[in-house]
Amino acid sequence: MTLRGLLWSVAVVVVCGALVVGGIFAGLFEKSVVSKDVDQPLTADQMKTLAERGAYVAVAADCYACHTAKDGAAWAGGLPFQTPFGTIYASNISPDKDKGIGNWTRAEFHRALRDGIGKGGKHLYPAMPYASYRKMTPEDVDAIYAYLMTREPMKVENRQNALAFPFNIRRLMTFWNLVNLQGEQPINDPAHSEVWNRGRYLADALAHCGECHTPRNLLQGMEQAKYLQGATIEGIAAPDITKAGLTQMGFDAPLLASFMKSGISAQGAMTNQMFDVVHFSTQYMSDGDLAALSAYLFDLDTAPDRSVAPAAPKPVSIDPALAVTARGTYLSLCSGCHGVEGQGIPHVVVPLATNASLRLNDARNLVHTVLHGLPAQRFPGLERMQPMPAFGDQLTDQQVADLTNWMRANWGGQEPNVKPEDIATIRAQ
Amino acid sequence: MTLAMKKLSLTVNERAIDPVDVPETMMMQDFLHEYLNLTGSRMGCGQGICHACTVIVEQDDGTLDETRTCITGAHWFQGKKVRTVEGHAKRDASGAITELSPVQQAFIENFSFQCGYCTPGFVTGATVFIEQLKRKPIAKAELEQAITDALDKHICRCTGYVRYHEAVRDLVLKTPGLLKT
Repeated sequence: MTLRGLLWSVAVVVVCGALVVGGIFAGLFEKSVVSKDVDQPLTADQMKTLAERGAYVAVAADCYACHTAKDGAAWAGGLPFQTPFGTIYASNISPDKDKGIGNWTRAEFHRALRDGIGKGGKHLYPAMPYASYRKMTPEDVDAIYAYLMTREPMKVENRQNALAFPFNIRRLMTFWNLVNLQGEQPINDPAHSEVWNRGRYLADALAHCGECHTPRNLLQGMEQAKYLQGATIEGIAAPDITKAGLTQMGFDAPLLASFMKSGISAQGAMTNQMFDVVHFSTQYMSDGDLAALSAYLFDLDTAPDRSVAPAAPKPVSIDPALAVTARGTYLSLCSGCHGVEGQGIPHVVVPLATNASLRLNDARNLVHTVLHGLPAQRFPGLERMQPMPAFGDQLTDQQVADLTNWMRANWGGQEPNVKPEDIATIRAQ
Repeated sequence: MTLAMKKLSLTVNERAIDPVDVPETMMMQDFLHEYLNLTGSRMGCGQGICHACTVIVEQDDGTLDETRTCITGAHWFQGKKVRTVEGHAKRDASGAITELSPVQQAFIENFSFQCGYCTPGFVTGATVFIEQLKRKPIAKAELEQAITDALDKHICRCTGYVRYHEAVRDLVLKTPGLLKT
């Protein structure tokens, strides 16, 4: 090839590349899953009927937890999300015409939830789980829309995101969307039962479990090859909730359904973000939906009505000298509440002998709790959990590592592989 | 069933306790009550919430820590120096009290307690707070919040919080060196 020919080839490639990149940026490759039907506004009667059902759909989709800041106005946004690229604030989705979504059309709402593009073509960030809500049925999106329009309008300004350049350019999400958004997918898998399919719809579309429990790649997209196999979020492990992971934690389908309803179980208490999920969402799910969700996560076509808890893991032997000192620490600092045999106190303190945190491959949640403690929590009904004191300033890294290893080996069946350096890392978080 | 025993030696109210066999699962509260007959530290909730059971642990550098004895094992105190509510006042050779500690005196002068069940914990908490101010004085403007923060975890079922608060404030204001000038 002549030099001139080579230069031409390079120029053509560069121009084509620029056109493709420009095209993506301009949104030419965006795949909407929203049909034209929703351009037709809903009638007042339709809105009224839909709103009643929408209250439940919005609960199952857990909209409120993120769109209401702590002590903030209902539905008015403001809750911060720490991402590797900066802080994103949830937006006001109350029906205020200036500050909220009161002026949004039905079609605009559908595109926001399912395509990640808000009113006026403004791209949302995927902190809003539109990659999951994309799988919602148009009927459910309508129901949420109708319900939100019945809420009290809140005149609360949206907080400006604090994102580093270039992530503050919303339109760049066109690239993220191109890589991470799936096309229209069939809602029902004919190979499975109605219960399984309802469970999958709840898990994937409404409750958006994968947003936390599926690990993310470098571009912060969900790694579908590791669907629901667990991830680390803000230093806390969101555990593996596949059948294997749930069984390792000590659950079967009925136990899991009950845990999602009550937030507390022999396997421990819901903490951190899952506490909010129970508080605002799963406790209000119907028994049928909770059973379906659990059945799906255990890959069952029918929800079992009897619980058969998995067998307790076999203790792993550890160095006898370490066992003596670590047990001494346990008896001194832990057994007063959790009991000498790790049995806990009903309605007050969770047991450790059957606790899921001790059975996870990753010890970080247990270590985090020992070092930093947990606040008191009120669960649905009359269940309570007293605050767990922080022991970070009373125990050295070595002592925490020994204690953690002893508890995990004794009750969790886990190899004693936690090192003082691991404790130091978690301590610094 | 026999309880597994373990030797425990420590110092309580400046008295050295020789090694004594104590069940390895015994909580400090029970050891103080049953072995040393020091019953001033109250058993309240038994869950580490009410802080009626707290004692002071004197560190080697002289700083004081407040520790809940109902949820902390006796053996955690191996080799440590402990001050219970019985160890705050000055006593003569016969053991009779000759002078209350400044915190105790302030509580009496302010009629701080009613039924008195939570008082040992408040004496402990306030004493640790005053000790902290001696080491690190604070601005007067920060005092009200600092008292609240220091005593917040102590629960009084008679709801006598205001007078505990006032007693500690009075004591801080009249003790030189606790506030930044």
